[in-house]
Amino acid sequence: MSVPVIDIRNVHRIYESAAGYTHALRGITLRVERGEFLCIMGPSGSGKSTLMNLLGCLDTPTSGTYKLEGLDISTLDDDELAELRATRLGFVFQSFNLLPRATVLRNVILPLTYTDVPPAERRKRAEEALAAVGLPAGFFDHRSNELSGGQMQRVAIARALVNDPAVVLADEPTGNLDSATGQMVLRTFKRLSEEGKTVVLITHDPEVADWADRTVHIRDGRLLTDEQEQEILATGMRGRT
Amino acid sequence: MRIADLAYETVSALDANRGRSLLTVLGIVIGISAVIAMVSLIGGVKQSLVGQLGLSQARLVSISVYYGRDMTLDDVQAMGNELDADYDFVIPIVYGSSEVSSGTEKADGQCIGVYPEYAEAMNLNLVQGRFFSQKEADEGALAVVLDQNSVKLLFGKPDEQVVGKGIRVGSVEYTIVGVVETSSVSWGGDTVSFFVPYKTCTQRLNTWSQVDQVYGLAVEDSDMEAVAKRTENWLAKRFQIPDDEREDSIYVQTMQSIIDELNATMMSFQVLMTAVASISLVVGGIGIMNMMLTNVTERIREIGLRKALGARRRDITRQFLLESVCLTLAGGIIGIALGYVSAYALGGVAGGALGGEEGTAVVPVIDPQSVLLVAGICVAIGIAFGYYPARRAAKLDPVEALRYQ
Repeated sequence: MSVPVIDIRNVHRIYESAAGYTHALRGITLRVERGEFLCIMGPSGSGKSTLMNLLGCLDTPTSGTYKLEGLDISTLDDDELAELRATRLGFVFQSFNLLPRATVLRNVILPLTYTDVPPAERRKRAEEALAAVGLPAGFFDHRSNELSGGQMQRVAIARALVNDPAVVLADEPTGNLDSATGQMVLRTFKRLSEEGKTVVLITHDPEVADWADRTVHIRDGRLLTDEQEQEILATGMRGRT
Repeated sequence: MRIADLAYETVSALDANRGRSLLTVLGIVIGISAVIAMVSLIGGVKQSLVGQLGLSQARLVSISVYYGRDMTLDDVQAMGNELDADYDFVIPIVYGSSEVSSGTEKADGQCIGVYPEYAEAMNLNLVQGRFFSQKEADEGALAVVLDQNSVKLLFGKPDEQVVGKGIRVGSVEYTIVGVVETSSVSWGGDTVSFFVPYKTCTQRLNTWSQVDQVYGLAVEDSDMEAVAKRTENWLAKRFQIPDDEREDSIYVQTMQSIIDELNATMMSFQVLMTAVASISLVVGGIGIMNMMLTNVTERIREIGLRKALGARRRDITRQFLLESVCLTLAGGIIGIALGYVSAYALGGVAGGALGGEEGTAVVPVIDPQSVLLVAGICVAIGIAFGYYPARRAAKLDPVEALRYQ
């Protein structure tokens, strides 16, 4: 059996602050296979953002192990984690986080400036990534603050794809978009996963979760079992009728 | 991150904050322009003083001695013979004065009696005719060389062709053989300065002594300090001056010794100006630090994003450090230009204060060394005051930074 892209075992994350300890994750175990489109669902405060930061190597577990493509990240220092983010991970944020004054192309190239990709090749790769998310070439030299929300999020997805990452992590990518534009963005993720890209998406919106191959629910820092999930689904149904 | 990428980030960040950057850099600009104005003015003062003392070239030595008696022509000739390993030639000059007239104009004249070698020693620039020949010198001929200012005084225009014409000096008719550029050797103003052969001057014009001033032109590639030392020793022996009175009796000056003396005189002034400039630079540096801290706070989300996209701590540090260095360096360049311009403006005032004639402004002199030094100081200020904000940016936690509103 091939190595899973993400292999998390019994991960805990405890924050220490003046107010005391916050147990944000309480023993999460999760495997994500190559090409999978996984959705992590949970209400706010459930620990899904903490999990996302761990998956994105922006944070490290207090205990437990996280292997990204078989590499144990707990052994890495700050610079090695940064290199991992630069080469193996792509981020898509709810608020796009583009550099407003820079052009579309420059925004997409940005992650490559932190890698060894030679300048001559960067533009080509950025254009390919932008083509993959369906942004017309006419927009490439526009400043990103001249774009619509849907266009901005597509640029952000292109930026996440440009370093050919093992995983694209998306945190509420449709949260700031109207539903039609949101659908379009989700369709892009769906297509990427069909083309073999691993996508992990975080949301609290069940309709968004419908696009995923698999959905896991997180509550109070724990992933729910199948039975608990059924229960929640049932409650959700009742709530909707 | 590559240099080109860093440069791109820096330019776009500074461009986004143009007005603020410009204001912040003002402190540096003022400090640097003060330093440059001071340094180039002092350079100019040195050059003009050295010029006024007649020491216009490095090989020239100005010699005078008084111990019971003045130097005589015999002394000068003996010196030229005995120190011929050190000097190409040693020549005396004498000063005289007489009324001069060209037939149409009349003026007071100051005369310098010189040997033909004088033109070489002083780097005189001939604009018409020639300097004296050896024959004229030996005969004490009635030949005269004017400077351009005197041509203007006597004939109306400085570029009037006057070679071959006659002028009356006192009651005797002299022939003009050449015209030299007006230089710092000339009296300038309303006095006609002219050169005649040494012998002519001592025989026919009122002179106060046999030798007023002695110049020696050292052989090429001499160690000027050693030449000066040997000259002093020779004079001490010839005039039988005891060791403890040598310093008061013998004056042997080279251009270097005059520059050294001036440096010593200018020292306290320089220290004061440097202190004022340093304060201004420190204040400017604090301004830069303040702006960079504001920058970091404003761009916390951007820093978080960059870290999420793979920027290492040192990438962030370098980005912000380069920004502050560019600011201070730009301030330095503006300051150098501004300082040089204000040195020109102040040059006229300083020229007047030094008692120079009308129009003898001090021309500021700037050397590449001080420009490089100033550039180095600017870079150092940029690093010193930019380091703390840059480290602060680099140490931000990416999760916190991305969440920052």
